[in-house]
Amino acid sequence: MQVSPSATARYFVVGLGLALCAVGATPTHANGQDLVGTVRAAGQLAKNVVVWLDVPRAARSEPPPTIVMDQRNLRFVPHVLAVPVGTVVEMPNSDRVFHNVFSFHDGKVFDLGLYPVGTSKTVTFDKPGLSRIFCNIHPDMGAYVVAVDSDVYAVSDGRGRFVMASVGEGSYTYHAWRPGADTVTGTLVVAPGRPAEIALP
Amino acid sequence: MTRGLTLFVLCALWGGPAGAQTAAVTVTQSGGASSESLVSVGTQVRALMEPAKDFRLNAEVAWGDRSRGDLNTDAFGTAYPYAGKTQVMEAWAEYVLPRGRGLRAIKVGRYRTPFGISAASDHAYLGFLRPPLIRYGTYWALSNGYFEHGIDVVVGVPRAALEVSVGRSSDVGDALRADGIDTVARAEGVLGSLVVGASYINTSPYLRRSFVKGRARFGGVDARWMRGGVQMRGEWLAGRPFDGTTTTGGYVDAIVHTPRMGPVTGLVRLERLDYDTDPRFALHSYRYGAGLRVRVWQRLAASVGLIHQGGQVTQRRATALDLGLTLTLRKNITGGP
Repeated sequence: MQVSPSATARYFVVGLGLALCAVGATPTHANGQDLVGTVRAAGQLAKNVVVWLDVPRAARSEPPPTIVMDQRNLRFVPHVLAVPVGTVVEMPNSDRVFHNVFSFHDGKVFDLGLYPVGTSKTVTFDKPGLSRIFCNIHPDMGAYVVAVDSDVYAVSDGRGRFVMASVGEGSYTYHAWRPGADTVTGTLVVAPGRPAEIALP
Repeated sequence: MTRGLTLFVLCALWGGPAGAQTAAVTVTQSGGASSESLVSVGTQVRALMEPAKDFRLNAEVAWGDRSRGDLNTDAFGTAYPYAGKTQVMEAWAEYVLPRGRGLRAIKVGRYRTPFGISAASDHAYLGFLRPPLIRYGTYWALSNGYFEHGIDVVVGVPRAALEVSVGRSSDVGDALRADGIDTVARAEGVLGSLVVGASYINTSPYLRRSFVKGRARFGGVDARWMRGGVQMRGEWLAGRPFDGTTTTGGYVDAIVHTPRMGPVTGLVRLERLDYDTDPRFALHSYRYGAGLRVRVWQRLAASVGLIHQGGQVTQRRATALDLGLTLTLRKNITGGP
């Protein structure tokens, strides 16, 4: 059977329309706008707070993009990294000395061994949880990777601000974690034009 | 040149490195006491800055002092110049070429002599890890207080590289080399978690020319391996501190920090040094050491080191206990949280 180009185009448009209808019928965060908010801890704007919402994760045909946690000037950059479960984190050595990145405690347990300047190794964070990252050669180096079972997450900046992409109106359960504290869970009501405010003890 | 580069780094930091990718200042305050009747304090300030991609500036200033109790000891020696005055340790600018090209890095300024296993973490003694006997200048080998004013070039690929330094000596501490041109070459290769290196230096002796003749020449090999929280290291050198003499020596050590050890890091080390000359002045020594470092608080670490030594080392006691406390503070000025 031969199908003309115009028929192919019609099928494509109809198929696309059906797909969009199907997506629209599913209550996901993808319909919303960017959610801007602030986090306070003990009344002060707090940086490096990981915030994520309990939202069903969308099915993906592609794996999440690789994220970089650099080792530069004897520190990990960024100091706090949030990634969805399944993310591959690349850890290049951009210093002039050797590093040995490891995580022995909670979360993802790994030891990347000794590796030189200009090379890189990767770790897949395949389960949710907090991983404390260290370098065995430089005991002052430390960082955190928080793997979350959600596609809606953010890390607050130096002014306590965070931005989450595409969050629809509604009431959500949120989780917030910051270095040195336990994870806090609460409810966040998202409304148009209303910035989110999260207060931690 | 040193003062100029140091001033440049500090001014760049002070001026607010708006375009910098990263900039940071670390301050390390340490204090220690040894059973060899010695108390020491030291402060190290380091400024690291990356004003543009792949271009780095580094400056390090240190002040240290120690009691004048038993001066026949090498406790707290070499790591800092314990001269009771502030001294510039390092001040250099470096350009690191992106990956995939042949030439990897070029460094200009004042920097530590790149012989053997050389890293900032190896230089400061805090009661945990005395510098090895082969890195005390006054033991007729090579001092950790050796510095170069010159240019250092690294060529190769990340897993196999050659480093060449040409400069003039400008040392700190007790062993100060005569003025002259120094040449240092180092080759390094990486296989998995194993790093092996070979170094060679041609430099001036640290004794006055009226006492010695010829140049100081040393060759050395070293290896490091790390896995599962265990770091094994070994270094061996051989050469002559000046004409008519030879020095050989080295060490192996293991630094262990496994998950079950929590905040504790352990160390064991074996070392040997032989200086052959007129039997009246020869030096044949060994030293065994063990130590623990405990992270007491995030930025505060306590250390304890125990050594046993024999032969003609300068210490009067065969066994010594060192204690140390280290507080490290870091301020990131730009470049993320």
